[in-house]
Amino acid sequence: MKTWRWLITLAPCLLGAGIAVYFFLSFDLHHDHIVYLRADLGTFSLLLGLGLSGLAALIFALLGWADGVRLQASTAAAEERRRFLLRLDHELKNPLTAMRAGLANLDESLSVAARREALASVEAQILRLSRLVSDLRKLAELEVRLVERSPVDIPALLREAFSMAQEKPEAAEYHLNLSIPQAPWPLPKVRGDPDLLLLAVHNLLENALKFSRPGDTLELRAFEDGTEVVIEVADTGPGIPEEEQPHVWEELYRGEAGRGVPGSGLGLALVRAIAERHNGRVGLRSRLGQGTVFTLRLPIG
Amino acid sequence: MATNPKTSILLVDDETAITANLAPFLSRSGFAVTVASNGEEALQKVAALHPDLLVLDVLMPRLDGREVLRQLRKNGNWAPIILLTQVGEASERAMALEEGADDYLNKPFDPHELVARIRAVLRRARPGQPPLSAAARLACGSLTLDRTSHRVWLGEVELALTPKSVMLLEYMMTHPDELVSRERLLDVVWGWDYPVGTRAVDTRIAELRRALDDDPARPSYIETIPGQGYRFVGMVEARP
Repeated sequence: MKTWRWLITLAPCLLGAGIAVYFFLSFDLHHDHIVYLRADLGTFSLLLGLGLSGLAALIFALLGWADGVRLQASTAAAEERRRFLLRLDHELKNPLTAMRAGLANLDESLSVAARREALASVEAQILRLSRLVSDLRKLAELEVRLVERSPVDIPALLREAFSMAQEKPEAAEYHLNLSIPQAPWPLPKVRGDPDLLLLAVHNLLENALKFSRPGDTLELRAFEDGTEVVIEVADTGPGIPEEEQPHVWEELYRGEAGRGVPGSGLGLALVRAIAERHNGRVGLRSRLGQGTVFTLRLPIG
Repeated sequence: MATNPKTSILLVDDETAITANLAPFLSRSGFAVTVASNGEEALQKVAALHPDLLVLDVLMPRLDGREVLRQLRKNGNWAPIILLTQVGEASERAMALEEGADDYLNKPFDPHELVARIRAVLRRARPGQPPLSAAARLACGSLTLDRTSHRVWLGEVELALTPKSVMLLEYMMTHPDELVSRERLLDVVWGWDYPVGTRAVDTRIAELRRALDDDPARPSYIETIPGQGYRFVGMVEARP
């Protein structure tokens, strides 16, 4: 983008310099080409005025265009902020309501067992809020914290994430597959923070488990694609409606199917943040009723 | 559980909702609790009451917890201090230990965990002497850790360790002979409660052991306590 602007800016200058050099080297010193420009003052000032006006118009048009872009970006940011606050408000409301109800129950003369139950439910809500706060902090921290840059063995990392998914009690009801290429050569290493990358793959798997149904097939696989290692988590779950797909990476976003599913709503946002800190990208392909593939692309090196 | 006479604790936090609930809890755990609501008040009360231990919030108006810590240490007061931090930044946590705090807890925390921390710190404290966490260098046998430059040597050889492993080793060495749970290590070294966390800790401990050439079956540095966590078993000395 920058290069062509420089080219356009410098083109007249280069052209002029080229012509000057040509005449200078052509030894045609006897009749040097001289241009005389004569104009009456009226025409001259008219043309000068026109030229300056044109220049000013061009400058203002450019500034306006830049402003428009900036305004668009800032309204988009404001819109995103507003959506985030609304979602946060929503995420906080439910546990707070449950806690107030639980505490109100404690106030009345109840049996010991019922009191204990009310206390336990209040505590569960407190833990839920703590988790939300700690996930939000992780996201905020991810943007600024130093990310380790050690060579990460992706197959080992995938096997670890996979075995963690297998250990989940509900995993028995799914068909879990892991496929790591061995030929013609093993996956190259990726530079990064092994703990963060494990967290990213873990979150993708957990997300797939959460939104699939018992009996579905889940696949964790990886391959090399040019300068990137691509990690994919695919499922035969219900799929994500097209209008929801761009939003699933946003903080606290919950799709239609996500209502009532436990979780902070920050799992995929964390995956995206981790990918970005590793100069990688996330993406997804999904078909309703057929399933979804989440991809995490990380540069090799 | 508390020693006789009662161990006195100065609890410093500007948030009255926290002190109002935490003070009775600590009292019930057997401590004599005094409350201060800002740094200046804390310094006055330390001078007047000489508490056995301070629980100090970091973010406070007027004089923050870190400044209180600095002033106390500068005046040669080595009363054990537990910092209550709100910042999740790893560097902030490392700084807290370097400046001579004995331990720290990230908010929000379980009050039982605070009591466990208090007991562990008191057990380790050597009255009137600087704690290990105030030393610039730590040594255990041929192992040396420089806490300002975050470098580690085994004999004459410098070890190539990741920053996280150095921090992990640093925490283990400043808390020798103490059972440290994986969750605790996660909280202090990573600052995150990873769902994948306990495995991350095990991986790093394995990395450390390889670098230190420490046999898990007969450890001279880090011992595994099955089902509970890790313990640094070597004798740690402070070096200037």
